[in-house]
This record gives sequence, structure tokens and C-alpha cells, in this order.
Amino acid sequence: METSGLDIMMQAVFWGMVGLTVAGAWIAVFPRNILYNVLGLALALTGIGALFVCLGSPFIGLMQLLIYVGAVCIAIVFAIMLSRPMHLEVPPWPPSKLAMGVVASTVFFVAAVSLALKTDWTPSPDRVSDTSLWSVEKIGEALLTRYELVFEVISLVLLVAIIGAVITAGFSRRLSP
Amino acid sequence: MNNLSTYLIISALLFSLGLQGILLRRNLIGMLISVELLLNAANLNFMAFNRFLNADPVAGQVIALFVMGLAAAEAAIGLSIILALFRTMHSINIERAQKLRG
Amino acid sequence: MGAFLGDPILLATVLGTNLPFISMAAVLLFTAPNPALSSKISVAAIAAGAVCSIFLLAVLHGGSPVVYRTLWFNSGNLDISFGYYLDSLSLLMLAIVGVIACLVQIYSLGYMAGDPGYSRYFAFQSLFAWAMMNMVVAGSLIQLFIFWEMVGLASYFLIGFYYEKWSASQAGKKAFVMNRVGDVGFFLGLIWLLIGFGSLGIPELNHAADANALPQGLLTVSALLIFCGVVGKSAQFPLLTWLPDAMEGPTPVSALLHSATMVAAGVYMFGRIFPFFAASPDAMAVALAIGTVTMLLSSTMAMVTYDLKQVWAYSTVSQLGMMVMALAAGGYFAGVFHLTTHAGFKALLFLCSGIFIHQFHTNDMRIIGKQGGRRLVIPMACIAVGALALSGVFPFSGFFSKEAVLAVLAAQPSRIWLAAGLLGAVMTAYYSFRLIFHILLPRGGIEEKRHDAHAHRYHEHEGERRGYIFWAMAIPVIVLAGVTLALGFFEHPIEHFLVNSNTVQPALHPAHGTGAQVDGGGAPLTIMGISAGLFGILLAWFEYGRKGADRKGFLSYFPAIWKLFDSRWFLDAFYRRSLDLFVYGGLTNLFTRNDRRVIDGGIDGICFFTESGGRLFSFLQSGMLQYNLLLMVLAVGGAVLYLLM
Repeated sequence: METSGLDIMMQAVFWGMVGLTVAGAWIAVFPRNILYNVLGLALALTGIGALFVCLGSPFIGLMQLLIYVGAVCIAIVFAIMLSRPMHLEVPPWPPSKLAMGVVASTVFFVAAVSLALKTDWTPSPDRVSDTSLWSVEKIGEALLTRYELVFEVISLVLLVAIIGAVITAGFSRRLSP
Repeated sequence: MNNLSTYLIISALLFSLGLQGILLRRNLIGMLISVELLLNAANLNFMAFNRFLNADPVAGQVIALFVMGLAAAEAAIGLSIILALFRTMHSINIERAQKLRG
Repeated sequence: MGAFLGDPILLATVLGTNLPFISMAAVLLFTAPNPALSSKISVAAIAAGAVCSIFLLAVLHGGSPVVYRTLWFNSGNLDISFGYYLDSLSLLMLAIVGVIACLVQIYSLGYMAGDPGYSRYFAFQSLFAWAMMNMVVAGSLIQLFIFWEMVGLASYFLIGFYYEKWSASQAGKKAFVMNRVGDVGFFLGLIWLLIGFGSLGIPELNHAADANALPQGLLTVSALLIFCGVVGKSAQFPLLTWLPDAMEGPTPVSALLHSATMVAAGVYMFGRIFPFFAASPDAMAVALAIGTVTMLLSSTMAMVTYDLKQVWAYSTVSQLGMMVMALAAGGYFAGVFHLTTHAGFKALLFLCSGIFIHQFHTNDMRIIGKQGGRRLVIPMACIAVGALALSGVFPFSGFFSKEAVLAVLAAQPSRIWLAAGLLGAVMTAYYSFRLIFHILLPRGGIEEKRHDAHAHRYHEHEGERRGYIFWAMAIPVIVLAGVTLALGFFEHPIEHFLVNSNTVQPALHPAHGTGAQVDGGGAPLTIMGISAGLFGILLAWFEYGRKGADRKGFLSYFPAIWKLFDSRWFLDAFYRRSLDLFVYGGLTNLFTRNDRRVIDGGIDGICFFTESGGRLFSFLQSGMLQYNLLLMVLAVGGAVLYLLM
């Protein structure tokens, strides 16, 4: 495959996004200040949104920004403010726990990577590579026809979650002993 | 860049970092953040499979959307649990929430 | 239902055999607190049963066998059917059971009066009557076996009726266990037969045996195994010692179960599948030998005991042995006829003894004699009738049946069986009249004073009630005495009924040993039989009856033999010893060890393991989410890696 300048730029952008994601994830996990974590999460989610765009689905990328960065991260910031945990600067992790976590996640990482590399991924034979099918209209149509039941179930789940959240957070004073 | 394995490895890396966070953090909010990372890693996998393998390209995107919806619900519930826990225990340190200790 | 009601035979069979069960259920469930009502229900039910059985006997007299049968279940190619088989033998036996059970229950109204377990007693009596009647009419061996076991259960309940008495509960257990020993063999025989022949229907089996359709090996093995059941139930050697112990039960129970009907069930079953047994000469030879040994052994035991009921118990065993001998010698009619007459006169003997026991509160014949047993004229006369019948004296029923048995034995090629039979007859007469003379002619006269006091009490205080009780007991006794006197003259009608109406069973007409042989056997045999009985009676008279007799018995000159007979030939000691040695010493020890070491140790080990495992895992179950997650992740990762390798 011939590498043009555009390709090189695209590649640079892609790897830049990958780096952004991984760095954001790193920040979201390791620093002990909770506010840094949230900001790192926002960074990582943005990078993942960019990767979605690279995967050919700008709609999902936008939704990622909207839902995750715009809603979930803001909600987490609110939770931090309400529960004031950031003043309670935690002591460093005990080495044993750190070691265990590292070992477990390394094992998992190795397992997942080897799974990804060893499997012989074959595309579906009747796969359509027509990118016009990736449009928002198609998604909307599918959501309201073929996936309608799932759509309604997920809205029900969201409703239940909201009511549950209100109950748990709002009435827990009354419910708890 | 544009092959499946790259995305899968990135996703595995994100997932492992999320796991690390879940296993390490004492702060419930920190754990919640890590769970978000895990979900996104899974989402990335869905989108990658959708892009490279799947017959109907709509399905993967729809599933990603649903995962986002579930993540939102999970975040809402998780955060309210955090608030409730903070009220009753005046702490969100997961290591102190040991009422299930055997 | 319409067909059911429209068929009086089926209706009578079902009703007659099952009413006692209803009465048992009613008594146990509802009327137990009201003894009078309970006894009335029970007696009414068994009276209905007796009427039904006599009705059946009258209606089906001389006809061919009636078979009712429905499929119970089938498994593979085995069809297990359930139904009734009414032929002459079962009709006769049904009538015997019904009538004697009815008489005994009427008798019990008096005998058991005032007993705290009155309702319970009648419930168990009804249970017995139900099981026994159903056993008699059973159409297949498996059905017969089921009710056979029910009869054993009822026997256990009734032997251990005075369960607060240690010896009674022990006797119940002993009877139960010894019966089971025999029944195991019976059941194995049934299974063997079922596998080899494929059906347990009684008519099929007899037909096949008649037609020589059964291979000889199968026949002999299964016949011998089934004969084990006879040995257990009819108290044959070597399982004979439970029956004397079973006398711990109330006397009417002894009369009904342990002499007249239940123990005769073994003989009945022998007769039921007689063609089957007859087809196997080896099994018949074994049965003949066992019957002979049983008869002689138990007669000797009866010669030394002073316990009224024990004498009759040993006598029952010996008469059962005689029936088995008769059947095993090929005398179908002789065996069954002896069973019939024996049921009558042995019930009579027991019921009379029961009156004495009830009156004098002792089982010892010497004490009863001294306290004036002979003043009770009715039972005294009736017991004499019974004893004469048992000894085989002419006009009484025992004479005819014993002659028939001796005729069958005489037809055997070897003379030894006849000799044994005659010896048994002598001993039978001897011990019967030893008992009679003890009561009738007590040594040193009657102790008048005690008797007067007794009679005083008897007449003045409890007059009417005692009168009711006495007559409730006396009437059945008189009826039975009448039957004993009359039954013998019906030998030929019964023989005709039993043998000739059974056109389907040619094996019942063997070349040797039916009743025809009685006439053919001729006068010498009759004279031998009568003289054997008379010799026994004279011997008893010489030793116990005549004035100045030393009343010791010739056996007392041989203390060793006396001791041998008195301790039942050490059979019980042998059982006890072998029980101690093998069961308690060997198996029990082994099981105890197994229990202590293996099972207890195992449980302890499991407990220890569980506890320490719990401790181990409770360390993991710290309530800390992250450790749980850690393990989970490690497990999943490890599994993936393992599968990829």
C-alpha cells in the first residue's frame, strides 16, 4: 500500500489519539487525587471517541462525547463535590496490594492480547463495506424497527436507574438505620 | 493502523488499566471511574468487530449505544450508592465498607 | 361398578375379605377411646367376613375355580396381576379362617374384658383377619407374599400385645426375625421363579408344573427356596422355636394365629402350589424330612413342659410338621384335611386353656389342677374332646385326618416315615393326656379352701358380669367342640370337594396317597393308628392318672434327656450362641468398628475439613470487594491462558 502524506498524517493523528487515550486512562487510574482521575477519565473517553471516528462511526464518537464526557464525567464531579473525598488524601498503596493488582491485570492483559493475536479473525462473508450504510439514518431506523424491543428495554432500565438513584441518594437518610 | 489487532490490543490495555484501578483504589469514586474505563474498552471492542468483521454494520453501533445507556444508568446508580454510603459511614473508603465480612 | 354389584361372588369376596380392614381403620382412627364400640365393630366385620366365606363355599361348591384378575402393573415383559383365585382349597381355607376368627373374636370379648388395650387388640385382630383372608384368596404368589408379610406383621403386633412385658416384646421380635429368615428364602424363590418362568400366577404355575413345562433345576431350586417360607411361617425345623415363645400373646391370639390359621398359612401355601412342589421330587424329599424332624422334636418338647400353652404350642408345631409330612409324601388331601381338623380342635384346645388361664391366672397345669380346674365343667369337657381329637381317638375329627396322613405315609416306599408318624402319634397322645390328667385328677385332691374362696368371689361379687364373660368364652368353645365331633364324618364330602372338583389339577390325583388309600390301606393301618393313640393315653394314665401314680413321667428317670427336651434340644441356646458368635461377635463388632472409625471418623474428618476450609475461605471472604475481584480476574485470565495453550 502506497503511503501518501495524507495517510501519514492520518496515522499520526490515530497514534496521537491512542496515546491520548492510554495516557488519560493512566491518569484516571494511578494518581491519588480523585480530581485528576476524573480529568484523566474525560481525556481517555475523548480519545476513545476519536477512535470511534477512526473506526468509521462519527455518530457514535459524538455520542461518546455527549454521554460520557458531557454527562457521566460531570456527574462524577458532582459526586466528588458532594462526598468531599478529595481532601482525604490517601496514603500510598501497600506494596502487596499493588503487586497483586499488577499481577492480576498483567495476567489478564497477556491473556486478552494473546487471545486477540492467536485467534483467526475471519470477516463475515456477506459483509457490506458500503459506508453509506453507516449513516445516522440507518441507525435510527434500526433502533426503531429491528431493535425496538431492546430500545424500549434500555429506556426502561434508564428509568428504573433514575428512580433508583433518586431513592438511594435522596431517601437514604430515612431508609438507613 | 487500520487492522483489528491494533484496536483489540488498545482495548485490552484499557481494560487492564481499568482492572488495575478497580483492584487498587480505595476510593469508591475511583473505582467507578475505572469501571467506566472497562466499559469503554468493551465498547471499543464492539466497534472494532463491527468495523472489521460484522455483516450488518448497524448492529455494533446500536450495541455500543446500548452499552452507553447502561453505563449512564450504572453511573447514576453507582453515584447514588456512593452518596448513601457517604452519609451512613462518613467515608467512601472501600476498605472500610466490610459489612459482608465472613 | 354395575358389573361389580351384579356379581355376587366377586362382591362377597371383596366385602368379606376387606371389611375387617375397614373395621381396623375405624377402630384405630375413630373409636379407640370407646372399647365396647370398637369390639362390636370388629366382631361385626369379621362375622360378615365369616358369612361371606360360608356363602362363597356354598355357592361355589363343586364348581370349577373362579378367577378374577386385573393387571396391576407390568414391567418389561413381566405382567404382575392382582386378583382372586377361588378354588376349593382357598374356599375351604377362607371358611376356616372366617369362622375361627369370628369365634375367637367373640371369645375375646370375654377374655380380654377390662384390658386397657381392648380397642387396640380388636384392631389388630381385624388387621390379621383382613391380611389372612386376602392371603387365602390371592391369585398370584406375589400377592400371596404381600399378605403373607402382613399376616406376619399382625402376628408381631399380637405377640407383643403386652408390650410392657419384656418377654412378650422379645418374643414378638424373635417371631418377626425368624419369620423373616424364612421369608427371605421365600422371596428369593419367587424372584428365581419370576426370572425363570415369567409369571407368578398360581393357576399358571400349577398348570405348567402339571404339564412338566418347568425345567427341573429351576423347579427344585425355587421350590426349596419357597419352602423356606413354609419353614419360617409354619415353624418347621430349624426355625421352630419362635412359636412356643409366641405364646406370650393373649390366649385367643395363640388360638387364632399361632395354632389354627396363621401358622397353617405355610402349609396352606404348600398346598396352594402343591403341583409345583410335587413336580420336584428332591424338594418333596427335603420337605418330608424336615416335617418329620419337626414333628418328633416338638413332640418331645411337649412331653416335659408344665405350661399349658407351651404344650399346645409344641403340639401345634408337631401337627404342622405332620401336615408337611403328609403333603410332602404326596397326600394333598390328607395334608389339607389334617389342616382343617387341626384348625378346629387346636383352636378348641387353646380357647379352653384360655378359660383356665383366665380363671386361675396361671399357665401351670399343676396349679390349675390343684385349684380345681375340673370344676369348670364346660371347658373341662371341651378340652377333653380336643385332646381326644388330637390323640386321634375314633369319633373325633383328628382320628380321620390322622388316619389319612398315616395312610399316605404308609404308601411311601420306606417304612421309616410311617414309624415316625406312629411314634409321633404315641407322643401326641401321651402329652395331651398328661395335661388332661394333671387338671382332671390333681395329686392330693383339690385345695378346697382356695377354691371356695374363689368360687365365693366368683358368685357373689361379680356375678352377672362374670357370667357374661364366661359365656362369651364358653359359647365359641362349645361350637368348636361340636365341630370337632362332627367334622370327621365329612371326610368324604371334603375329599370329593377338594380333589375331584379340581379337574384342572391332575397332580392332585397322583397314583399314591389320596384319601382312596385310606380305605385301601385297610384295617391294619387303622388298628395301628388307634393303638398308637391308646398306648399314649394309657401311658399317661399309668404315670399321671391312676391312683398312686408318681406323676413324674418316665422321662424324669433320664435327667439328661429331660433337660434336653426341656431346653428345646438346645436350639435356642444354639441360636443364641451363634448369634453371639457371628452376629454380635463378628458382624456387630465389625460394624461398630466401621461406625466408629470409618463413619464417625469420616464425618469428623469432613467436619474438620469443612471447618478449616471455612476458615480458609473466610479469610478470602473478607468482605473486601477488591480481593474478590482479584481472584475472579486471576481465574478468568488463567482460564483463558490455559485454553490458549
